[in-house]
Amino acid sequence: MAKVLMKGNEAIAEAAIRAGANNYFCYPITPQTEVAEYLAKRMPEVGGVFLQAESEVAVGNIVFGAASTGKRVFTTSSSPGISLMQEAISYMAGAQLPCVILNIMRGGPGLGGILPAQSDYFQATKGGGHGDYRLLVLAPSTIQEAVDLTMLACHLADKYRNPVMIIGDGMIGQMMEPVEFPENYTEPELPTKDTWAATGAKGRKPRVIKSLFLDPYKLEDNSVVLYNKYQQMKKDEVRFELYKTSTKNKVLIVSYGTMARICQTVIDELEEEGVSVGLFRPITVYPFPEAALEKEATRKNIDTVLTVEMSMGQMVEDVERAIARRRPVEFFGRTGGIVPTPDEVKKQIKELIKKKHGAKTRQSTTKSKKKG
Amino acid sequence: MSGKTRFTPPQFSNKILIIVGGFGSGKSEVSVNLAAYLARTSSEAVTIADLDVINPYFRSREAASQLASLGVKSLIPGGENVHADLPIVIPEVKGAIEEPGGTLILDVGGDDLGARVLSSLRDAFPATGYDLLLTHNANRPFTSDLEGTLKVMSEIEGASRMKFTGIICNTHLMKDTTSEVVLTGLKQSREVSATANVPIVFLSAVTEVLETMDPELIDCPILPLNRSLLKPWERQAPTGGN
Repeated sequence: MAKVLMKGNEAIAEAAIRAGANNYFCYPITPQTEVAEYLAKRMPEVGGVFLQAESEVAVGNIVFGAASTGKRVFTTSSSPGISLMQEAISYMAGAQLPCVILNIMRGGPGLGGILPAQSDYFQATKGGGHGDYRLLVLAPSTIQEAVDLTMLACHLADKYRNPVMIIGDGMIGQMMEPVEFPENYTEPELPTKDTWAATGAKGRKPRVIKSLFLDPYKLEDNSVVLYNKYQQMKKDEVRFELYKTSTKNKVLIVSYGTMARICQTVIDELEEEGVSVGLFRPITVYPFPEAALEKEATRKNIDTVLTVEMSMGQMVEDVERAIARRRPVEFFGRTGGIVPTPDEVKKQIKELIKKKHGAKTRQSTTKSKKKG
Repeated sequence: MSGKTRFTPPQFSNKILIIVGGFGSGKSEVSVNLAAYLARTSSEAVTIADLDVINPYFRSREAASQLASLGVKSLIPGGENVHADLPIVIPEVKGAIEEPGGTLILDVGGDDLGARVLSSLRDAFPATGYDLLLTHNANRPFTSDLEGTLKVMSEIEGASRMKFTGIICNTHLMKDTTSEVVLTGLKQSREVSATANVPIVFLSAVTEVLETMDPELIDCPILPLNRSLLKPWERQAPTGGN
């Protein structure tokens, strides 16, 4: 198929249709409303369901109900709207229901603002709702990747019978880039849904889909089933990308989403100035690519790991955990809808290198003490 | 820029240029570049009004300070509201329509939804003396064929209560734009132009691509674009002779 120019929100919407997620429920909120705008036009063309509910609380529960039928279900929102869906998301995880949720993040907390942010990382990766559950969370950095990951998300949700979330900062929703949709999309085979889906009980025993287990042993059993799925995800679904990582790197940047692209510009420009910096970009932020990051971050020449985010520092905790104090982890971020400029990030790296080299000559004893 | 003289620049007899079009067709980038071009080449005052009440990002207001350095006045909401995606039209816009002074460019939001703002200002417009210009990008999903483009045009005309007077051929694929993309787009805009009986007023494309093209193949005026509404990781291209 020829390339078309699409806004992220539109491209993600089309990708969901291509992956067969023909049941879409929504409530408008900036900066993701174009998903709804687009699907309001497109869903009737493919015979799908488009429904705008009265609130995100309602959307979450409609998604819960629709997912129980075994059909592919998709919803989208932005930060405050995603908060309102948390109850239903927890219920769906508990009841082992697949669905795909897109969060085009804006500045928070509260109503915040409408400009791009990455400050819902904690909410997405650490469980925004209650209980022992996790979401599989994908973080695209280009519109093409947003398309590919949306289609993958539909598959993974069914594979694990668990909600899958795609997080993109506002830029992913709002910017336009050329994209291509796969010509013949075929998915790896999935287990039948006809063991659990509510498809009408005529001629068979009724199935019960629930997250309520009054018997604590049964509730614990359910949590163990979920836990085992998350362990499986950690084994099979970790995704990341490296950019210009080499043994020459002095600094390793860890950054995701469009923030990583700003870091790429920085890395290219620093390379021309003779400063070698690499980028580690998590694509799955849950499961977090811990082992791979540890390996990259502890290469011989790397003095410092710098985490760059559009937040006050959320992923930085996962980075610290992965590296387990084997390298100093620094953080740089802007928040509230302010997108760091390449110059700001560049300045930060130069200061870090300067500090490091200064420290080497002046305070070698303190440093070796720290090391030990 | 050496290539500039090779092309016929766009010319307008009307004082008010209203830039509308399908959602994401490139209206803001065209508006900003048109304002900059007119400011550089004419002695008259140039004003741009950002009437985009649809998009939250990548609006012409982001280029306000850049345009101010060229003497272009921007009419945009003040204070915090500059960041809002609320249907705010400041009173100065109506005043500027009633008495444009020099050239007034109205950068309107996409589709009929964005064009609805014109309806509320309809009474301020003179009976004639304005251009309603469709920005056409044939690589956008809903304006990729004749039928779709005509539908968008009729919806915009309905919402704005105005008639089209011109088409801006703005087919591109951002960084993947080639001369072939531009020429295929021109062909499609011509088809729209012939069917709707609305002339093509100019073709717009980035300078880097235009410089690779044979001017003979483009039989309409041309506005070279220097991209101004950039993504955070993009750097402004050097502008050459300016």
